[in-house]
Amino acid sequence: MDNFFSKLAELFTTPEYIDSLLHGFLLTLQIAFFAVLIGFVLGLIIALVETGKSKWLAPLRFVFRVYVTVIRGTPMALQLFIMFFVIFAIRDFPQVVTAILAFAFNSAAYCSEIIRGGILSVDTGQTEAGLALGLPYRTVFLKIVMPQAIKNIIPALGNEVITVIKETAIVSMVGMYDLNMAAKDIGSGQNMASYVVPMFVAALFYLAVVYLITVIIKIVEKRMRRSDARA
Amino acid sequence: MPERRLEISVRGLKKSFGDNKVLNGIDFDLYDGEKVVVLGPSGSGKSTFLRCINRLEEPTAGEVFFDDTLITDKNIQAMRGKIGMVFQHFNLINNLSVMENLTLAPVKLHKFSADEADAKARKLLKHIGLLNKVDSFPASLSGGQKQRVAIIRALMMEPKVLLFDEPTSALDPESIGDVLSLIHEVVNNGMTTIIVTHEMNFAREIASRVVFIDKGRIIEEGTPSQFFSHPKTPRVKEFLGKVL
Ligand SMILES: Nc1ncnc2c1ncn2[C@@H]1O[C@H](COP(=O)(O)OP(=O)(O)OP(=O)(O)O)[C@@H](O)[C@H]1O
Ligand SMILES: [Mg+2]
Repeated sequence: MDNFFSKLAELFTTPEYIDSLLHGFLLTLQIAFFAVLIGFVLGLIIALVETGKSKWLAPLRFVFRVYVTVIRGTPMALQLFIMFFVIFAIRDFPQVVTAILAFAFNSAAYCSEIIRGGILSVDTGQTEAGLALGLPYRTVFLKIVMPQAIKNIIPALGNEVITVIKETAIVSMVGMYDLNMAAKDIGSGQNMASYVVPMFVAALFYLAVVYLITVIIKIVEKRMRRSDARA
Repeated sequence: MPERRLEISVRGLKKSFGDNKVLNGIDFDLYDGEKVVVLGPSGSGKSTFLRCINRLEEPTAGEVFFDDTLITDKNIQAMRGKIGMVFQHFNLINNLSVMENLTLAPVKLHKFSADEADAKARKLLKHIGLLNKVDSFPASLSGGQKQRVAIIRALMMEPKVLLFDEPTSALDPESIGDVLSLIHEVVNNGMTTIIVTHEMNFAREIASRVVFIDKGRIIEEGTPSQFFSHPKTPRVKEFLGKVL
C-alpha cells in the first residue's frame, strides 16, 4: 500500500509523467469530441433519409441500410485498422483525423439507429394533428416530431457518447498516444516500471469524464421532461 | 328551402389498404350549415371517409371538392386550413403548451398575428373555462379538457367545415357531457360539420342529416326522424336494433 501511494506521489510530481498523461487525455477527448459531433450529424442525415417518404431516396436508403448493417456487424478495431491501413494509408496524413473519422463513421451508424427509433416512436397522431391544421410537413417535422424524438433519445445518445469515449482507447493499437497509451508508457520499464498506478489514474480520468457526461445527460433529460408534468 | 352553397362534394371515392377495400365508391354532398352525422358499424370505413376528405389518407380513386375546387396534393395545405379536424384521441401536441397548441398554426400560416392569435386563444380558453391552463402542457390535462382544447384549436383557424371523428369515444363518462355541449354550441353557431359518433342520442339531437356507411358504401341517409324512426334498409334496422 505504501508502495502504491509513493508511486502515486511519484507520478504526480514528475512533470514528464503528468505531461504524458495530459497529452494522452487531450487526444482521447479530441478524438471522442469530434467523432461524436460528426457521427451525430451523419447519423441524423442517415435517419432523415431512412424515415423520409420520398420515392427517389430509395436507392440512398438502400445504401445507408447496407452501411449501417456493415458497421454494426464488424468490430470497431477492424474498422480502425481498415481506416489506417487501407483507406487512409497515405503518407503524412494526420493520424488524428483518420482516428476521428473512423469513430465518426462508426458512431454515425449507431446514432442513425437511435435517431430513427426516436422519430418512429413519436405517435403518428402528433403528425396528423399538425398536418390537419394546414401546417407544411417541414414545420410539423421541425416543431412537433423532432423535439419529441430528441427528448425520447437523449439517454440513448448519452450512452453512445460514453461508448465512443471509452472505445477510443483502441487507438493505442495503431500507436497513437491517447490516455490509454500514456498509462502504458508511463508504467513501462524505462519509466515507473509499474503499471498499477498509471493505469489506475487513467481509469480515474475516463471515469471522471463518463461521470460528468452522465450528470449532464440527467440534467438535460430533466429539463426536457418539463412538458410531461408541468401543471 | 333556400338554395344552399355546396361546401364539400365527394365523387366516387374509393380507398384500399392493400387488398382491403375500405371505401367502395362514396358520393356525398355537404351543404353550408349542414350537420351530418355519420353512423355505421366498426370497421365500415367512417374514419377513413373523413381522413380522405382532408387527405390524411390518399384516396385510391375518386374526387373531393371543396368550394368547387378539386382537392389535390398541391392545394391540400390551404384546404386543410379551411377544413378543421377533431380526433378521437385529441392529438394535442405534447411538446407544446396549451397556448402554443392554439397559436402555432394560425401564426405560422399568417392567419393572425401573434398578438391577435394570443388574444383569440385566451378568449376561447376563457369561454371553455380553461384559461388557467394556458401555460400547461397537454400531459397535465384530463381527457375532457384535452378534447375541448382540441376543439378550440380547430376553431382558431376559423374553418368553414369541421370534421369530428368520434370526439367522445376516448373519454370517461363524466367528461363526455362537457365535450358534447361544446360541440353543440359550435354547431349551433352555424358551423358546417361532419360528425362520426356512436352517441345515438347526441346524433339524433344534433344531426340535420344522418348518413349510414356499411362496408365502405353509404347505404342509407335521411333526416334523424326518418332515419331513427323509419329506417328503410334491413341493415340499418338491424344496426339500430343493437344500439338503441
Ligand atoms: N392506415 C391503415 N392501414 C391499413 N388498414 C387500415 C388503415 N386505416 C384503416 N384501415 C382499415 O380500414 C378499415 C376501416 O377502418 P376505419 O377506421 O375507417 O373504420 P371505422 O368505421 O372508423 O371504425 P370504428 O367505428 O371502429 O372507428 C378497417 O378494416 C381498418 O383495419
Ligand atoms: Mg373510426
